[in-house]
Amino acid sequence: MSETSKFSLGRTLLLGIWGLFCLAPIIFFATIALRPRNEIIAPRPIYFPTISIETWAKIWAEWPIMTYFMNSVIAVSGSVLICLVLGIPAAYSLARYRYKGREDIGFYILSTKMMAPAAVAIPIFFLFRALGLLDTVWALMLVYAAMNLSIVVWIIRSYMIDIPHEIEDAARTDGASDLRILWSIIIPMCMPGIITAGVIAAIFAMNEYLFTLIIATKQAYPLSVALANFSGGSDGIIYNAIALVAFLAFFPALLLVILIQNHLSRGLTMGAVKG
Amino acid sequence: MRKAFPYLLVAPAVIYLLAITLYPGIFAVWRSFYAGRFQLNFVGFEQYIDLFHDEAFWHSLSNTLIIGGITLTIEFVIALGLAALVYRDPLVKGWRILFLLPMLFMPSAVAFLWKLLFNDGRVISDLFMRIGLVDSNIDFMGSTWAARSVLIVTDVWQWTPFLFIIFVAALQGQDKEIEEAARLDGARWRQVFFSISLPMMRPVIAIALVLRGIDILTMFASPHIITQGAPAGDTETVSYFIYRTGFKSFEFGYASAASVIVLILTIVLAQLFVRRFFKSGRD
Repeated sequence: MSETSKFSLGRTLLLGIWGLFCLAPIIFFATIALRPRNEIIAPRPIYFPTISIETWAKIWAEWPIMTYFMNSVIAVSGSVLICLVLGIPAAYSLARYRYKGREDIGFYILSTKMMAPAAVAIPIFFLFRALGLLDTVWALMLVYAAMNLSIVVWIIRSYMIDIPHEIEDAARTDGASDLRILWSIIIPMCMPGIITAGVIAAIFAMNEYLFTLIIATKQAYPLSVALANFSGGSDGIIYNAIALVAFLAFFPALLLVILIQNHLSRGLTMGAVKG
Repeated sequence: MRKAFPYLLVAPAVIYLLAITLYPGIFAVWRSFYAGRFQLNFVGFEQYIDLFHDEAFWHSLSNTLIIGGITLTIEFVIALGLAALVYRDPLVKGWRILFLLPMLFMPSAVAFLWKLLFNDGRVISDLFMRIGLVDSNIDFMGSTWAARSVLIVTDVWQWTPFLFIIFVAALQGQDKEIEEAARLDGARWRQVFFSISLPMMRPVIAIALVLRGIDILTMFASPHIITQGAPAGDTETVSYFIYRTGFKSFEFGYASAASVIVLILTIVLAQLFVRRFFKSGRD
């Protein structure tokens, strides 16, 4: 056996072990979603349960899961829209103009990403209470947008920087205004960046837990916090409903990520790592 | 007008962020001078002094650093190892999708999954018993390091892919020919990786660790759902401390004082680490 092929076997084995570690809990979780309640918590764990769609129907009837799902959809998509409307012009400004204070403004925007959610949770709670927006999807939408705006600006900015100046210069000599250039040249040319930013902002918003926990107290439950309330007196924590909701959020996220898989590293590092 | 244009473009985003970050900062400072749940009494710096004498607060800070440091180290080593093994593999896209699956679940769902595996469903204990490591169920909330391990495993499972994806991209972006030239000169795979590929990806590693580090230091969902600080506050993170004093005990003034301290720490850390790695302009 040559050195390379021996190495390759060990390599595949190591990768396989990690792959199994990733996958096994997910498969177990999937069986949790479809097993009856008495087979979830048993004296010894049951690895091959009775899988029944009836469990699913029962959960569906018991909890307004569709409402939670729609709350998530509205809050998340609204926040992404706000991020793009505010973020695209800001990214354009940072990427394309030279002016005093640009570095500081860019850094300020970035630094909002570094804020610990817990450190601003109390003021945010009082702010939305004063506005009468507690327990509404609107408050969630505004918070998610604020949380993701920095990422969106920085990702899109990185894609805008890559567009050659010559194209704009040509349009400018033809008499196009700066806004016109942004709308009909820059935005179409950095569409992959805009989509990447949107997808990452959507997934982060979908995942958000701490702000959501203090803002949504019943009516506005999105999926991330709704599942934490699936417990009923003597039943304890209702894990099959939690698992079902977990997968309900997982599949859209998976589709979105496959769509942007080649831009993922660039998106996750806010444009700092291309590839 | 021309000079103002770039400012006008960036202004809406900045105003929005100021409204939702500067305002909370000011509010937290103001509120930290007042005690009381509903009737506010001005107490000056008293709550800061109390905070500095509060064992639980210091404990939560040290927990955050200890748990965070270990978690980040483990995630870094595994992600770098996996990335090194996979980046020249023809099936790299397949491995990447497989490895990133945990990242696509909501952290609250992942917390419940591992709560079930470790505590309520006793799956981990059962697996350990089957391979003969232990004879009886382990109470993972019973000892400091068992409980901390639960939080560490949960985070490592979900977030190692974050670093892995970035490292793979960085390695793929490197010039293949340098590697091949070194291989032709008789360098072993290990030598090529440690003396050529790894040094070249240092800036990427720095950025990835800063981003992941920030997230780990604000860890909240898993302590809130799985451990709630048990045992004896040994798994209470700073985020959970603020949440507990604010939203469980309703000591908003006291929690605000803690928030201000955390905000100051964040600003210092951001200035130290983040500013160096990100530049706005083309140059």
